[in-house]
Amino acid sequence: MSTKASSRSTHVEAILGRDLYAQVRNVKLLLVGAGGIGCELLKNIVLTGFGDITLLDLDTIDLSNLNRQFLFRKKDVKQSKALVAARTAQQFNPSVRITPIHANIKEPQFDVAWFRQFHIVLNALDNLDARRHVNKMCLAAAVPLVESGTAGYLGQVQPILKDRTECFDCMPKPIPKTFPVCTIRSTPSQPIHCIVWAKSYLIPQLFGEDEDGGDELDEAEKQGENAEKIANLRKEAQAFTAVRNALRSGSHPKPNGSTTRSRSKKANPNGDAAQLVFNKVFEADIQNLLSMSDMWSNRAPPVPLNYHEILNDSFVLPNHPETDAATSNGPFVPQNKAHTNGHNVPNASSSSTASGSGGAGLKDQRELTLRENLELFIHSTNRLSMRLNSGEDTISFDKDDDDTLDFVTAAANLRAAAYGIGGKSRWEVKEMAGNIIPAIATTNAVISGAIVLQALHLLRKNYGGLRNIHLQLKPEVPLNGSSVGAPAPECGVCRDTYVELLCDPSRVTLGEAIERILGDGDDEGTGPRDVSVYEDKRILSDPDFDDNLERTLESLGVTRGKFLTIVDEDGEWGNVAVAIGVLPPNHPPNGPALIPPFPLPKPPRLSKPTPPPLTPNTPPRKRTASVMGGDDDIEHVAPPPKRTKTGMPHINMASPSKKKRLEDEGLLIVENPDEKVDDEPELITIDD
Amino acid sequence: MSDSQDIETATTAIQTSQVAQPDSKTRRYDRQLRLWAATGQSSLESARILVCSGSATSTSVLKNLVLPGVGHFTILDAHVVTPEDAGNNFFLEGLDSVGKSRAEEAVRLLSELNDGVEGQANTANLDDILEKDPSYITSFSLVIAHNLPSSTLDRLATLLWSNTSFPPLIVIRSAGFLAEIFIQFHEHPIIDSHPETPASLRIDKPFPALLDHALKLDIENMDVIDHGNIPYVVILVRALEEWKASHNGSPPKTYEEKSEFKKGLLARKKKADEENFDEAAAQAYRVWTETTVPNEISKLFSDPGVTSLTPSSPAFFHLLKALQQFSSQPPHTLPLSSTLPDMKSDTASYVHLQKLYKARAEEEKLVFKSILKKNGAPVDDAIVDEFVKNAHGLKLLRGEKWGSLDADKNALSACLKGNTKETATHLALSALARIQAANPSVQPTEDDLRTAVLALIGGELPRSSSGEVIGESELEEAIGELARAPTADLPNTAAFLGGLVAQEAIKMITRQYVPVKGVCVVDLIGSWTGVVQP
Repeated sequence: MSTKASSRSTHVEAILGRDLYAQVRNVKLLLVGAGGIGCELLKNIVLTGFGDITLLDLDTIDLSNLNRQFLFRKKDVKQSKALVAARTAQQFNPSVRITPIHANIKEPQFDVAWFRQFHIVLNALDNLDARRHVNKMCLAAAVPLVESGTAGYLGQVQPILKDRTECFDCMPKPIPKTFPVCTIRSTPSQPIHCIVWAKSYLIPQLFGEDEDGGDELDEAEKQGENAEKIANLRKEAQAFTAVRNALRSGSHPKPNGSTTRSRSKKANPNGDAAQLVFNKVFEADIQNLLSMSDMWSNRAPPVPLNYHEILNDSFVLPNHPETDAATSNGPFVPQNKAHTNGHNVPNASSSSTASGSGGAGLKDQRELTLRENLELFIHSTNRLSMRLNSGEDTISFDKDDDDTLDFVTAAANLRAAAYGIGGKSRWEVKEMAGNIIPAIATTNAVISGAIVLQALHLLRKNYGGLRNIHLQLKPEVPLNGSSVGAPAPECGVCRDTYVELLCDPSRVTLGEAIERILGDGDDEGTGPRDVSVYEDKRILSDPDFDDNLERTLESLGVTRGKFLTIVDEDGEWGNVAVAIGVLPPNHPPNGPALIPPFPLPKPPRLSKPTPPPLTPNTPPRKRTASVMGGDDDIEHVAPPPKRTKTGMPHINMASPSKKKRLEDEGLLIVENPDEKVDDEPELITIDD
Repeated sequence: MSDSQDIETATTAIQTSQVAQPDSKTRRYDRQLRLWAATGQSSLESARILVCSGSATSTSVLKNLVLPGVGHFTILDAHVVTPEDAGNNFFLEGLDSVGKSRAEEAVRLLSELNDGVEGQANTANLDDILEKDPSYITSFSLVIAHNLPSSTLDRLATLLWSNTSFPPLIVIRSAGFLAEIFIQFHEHPIIDSHPETPASLRIDKPFPALLDHALKLDIENMDVIDHGNIPYVVILVRALEEWKASHNGSPPKTYEEKSEFKKGLLARKKKADEENFDEAAAQAYRVWTETTVPNEISKLFSDPGVTSLTPSSPAFFHLLKALQQFSSQPPHTLPLSSTLPDMKSDTASYVHLQKLYKARAEEEKLVFKSILKKNGAPVDDAIVDEFVKNAHGLKLLRGEKWGSLDADKNALSACLKGNTKETATHLALSALARIQAANPSVQPTEDDLRTAVLALIGGELPRSSSGEVIGESELEEAIGELARAPTADLPNTAAFLGGLVAQEAIKMITRQYVPVKGVCVVDLIGSWTGVVQP
């Protein structure tokens, strides 16, 4: 048996050489993500002989993963990806240690010290935010990272090592498309505006946390939007209270799509929460908007919808020139899609039997009539309401949660009808609202193979072999490797000098932390100097703003896993990024509240005053809200020259404003992935 | 899962059930349907694939075909699992599989990935089948062969090349970090190639309804908001018409005229921030770029498949013939595409324009169909629709027989000059195959490989015009790598090739997207790919 056992590594040993093979067995490797790339990669690293693998993923398995995430089976749906992937891969080679963690990589316990235990980190993540986070943590811990992403047929691999290669943030990343508040709330003109409204405004209002939605409006008012219109929207928001209560009252009908026949205690149709919601958002709110006549002097006004008339097919939309198929009442007559989606396919049950082009035969791929949309609205509202009543506190949009997807489809289409905009099928809504990116096994397989090869170069310190790899749709060069660039001199992430401050944030003030990091300047550190201090994009102090210096780090929200960034006011020193870590377990309870880094950081001297300091993350490109009722399709994107001082010192960490949330969720729609990647080869993202 | 419903939901969820919930199969394949749609999926599900050998590379390819739901696969492999296989092939059960049939073990484990896929193991010897039952092989829709002995591979390739209706063959050769793939096929028409360039908007040759719309628009008396929302297509058609009226009916031709035309567009702005006029200026080239039948498409009209068309020719050629006839009439273009790009506009104007394009596209499609009908060529309506919609991206690839490159010393020399590192790697792999064919048990040295390469290209490496030897260092690198590990089926190379080859297989099966050309070489040390083409 021993010869058998050793010959299983024959191929790998022959190729890697005895030394590297032995090294690989002792490497501690972190794999972040057990999705499309992660499954492939886990298989590859187990086969390559990596001996100690930590696998982290926060997600659970969905049916739509199974076309590529081959470590999962149908029976595993809803279970932790990390746990199932580890279990499946473990069977292949019992001598490899795989430690699965079902968690979010951004949680505080995964701090710099935690990252430092690994020899190499492999990213197999599906979102920009987490990819940047790991990039930064690896830079701070000086651990080599192989970064990757796929989208459809396209993919990319990037090896990253601090001070030697470009980091993930050296190249600017695309800003997700966002829309002005008023376009979403009052004057939509495209289907996507209605979808964003349903997903990011209506769902949180009805099923989310109890908020009055004031932040966003306060902000809009400050930005100079029309006060009367703001007051109007505020009134609209407050009236949600009644509807929210109805959804949570438990006195709603069974989810049967009908409103009158039910076993509910209140047979009165007015007690029907779905109808209450409908009447508020599709009738009363639109009536209310219509009262602002100057808003409609230059655009077609919306039409309030009528619940009963739609249900008994007597509702007639005025003849908007641009709407027939999607919004006309009565039987479905496909208009613009007549040649792709047959008339009589809604009951076809399998895509494979379908002939013809496009998505023919897929039953969620046709547009619904107005009545069908209303029925879907009622049905999905009732289902969501039942969930609230059976214990769910809040429900937010999830593309894989059918109830919320149905709700968004129906609500968006009803709103589109009211505004004379074309509707969208459930299939299309899913893609638009869910930021769905096509994903297949083949691309992930190619990319994962390339990731391991780059990882081996990094481990062997064979830096000449490092390549940025692009998988592309070119019949002559399917895969292209380009040489790896040096760090961008102006990068706001990898040019910082990273140190770790072990402390008890409840006992250390901001001023104390800064003082200890700067040192006295005699033998080490830079000595006291004028600095501004940031946590992420928040400014905590600068030479003219010292209110926070006496406050504890904890009270400022600067806790384990966070970074303080110290920026020299005169631009003579490079930035220092201070990672907050915890005191060691054997630290005496009455010992000092902080252990400064040793040696103290000596950032590079900058020859001349730098241009305005960059943010630790990419520059916060805040859109300024556009003026209500004006050109709301014009985007005002103005990167501020310098970090703006926000209204400190009060920090509300609990819940980001809705405005922020809407921006964060700003849709990134990949209509044609080829196009996007051709322009910006660095920007491919994302497979889950 | 959500496929099951309780009786109450099933009976009360009336209309919504037929429209809202996609079935579990659609959900499973959701992410790939967004790439190749139901038509591609349907082709994939009716495909039957034969894979010769159950190596790590072969099972990696198959994994990526089983997951997206290929109809059937057979692994043909007479070998039993060795400890080396167990260590690098994920679709074996480690040491438990040692001594069992490699085909049977791999089929069993691959089948677990997708119960909608049928898998079969065949433990017969490929040479025997080629001898006794070649129709077994030609009954598949695609054959994939990994690291077959070159005599067997040659016989397989010859069989599949012997009739144009026989399935395509994908050849994979790999050793350590080096590999190459080649697709053998006679002809491969692609209707939906997913081209990157969009179809023409025909702004230079506006159809009557578009011209009429552009001319009738009362632009001068329009209010500011509407003026800022005129789609650029309309602006350009109008501006061109006005230009032609004052320039003897000619569009802008010289650089000066073009600049003047662009300036004129921007001068039409009522407000400085009217993006639609900026768009018009950016798209102004459409005015002086004449819309004709693209070169790539008109070349297809002289393809033998069109020029010697018979009633039994494949539908693609009947469609091409009709397309040629269509475009021989004014305005000498392809049928209009109904898809309009995104542009600065309000909903009403945009949708109106969209309707004009759709209506015209429908008319032209009817003209196309009537030509087809007159030719007496019955083609399924759905295919005609697909063909017309994608007319500007049509492709017809003609392939070569496996081995034809290596049989042509001059071509090899030419390739070495053009694609040096690709050809050097290819030559090294061919040399390795020749040596192994002569003596399977020998481990070739660098000298052996060098001698075999030189024999392939006819004695010596070619020289450049300045007398320098071409490809020496590239060849030495490839030879060195092969001598180091001539037979290793490395997991990462296998994983990589598994993705690449399955991707090409899917392109061939779905007849969507354009497959790689010629011999595609992979070097995973240098992290590059490239093709060898004369």
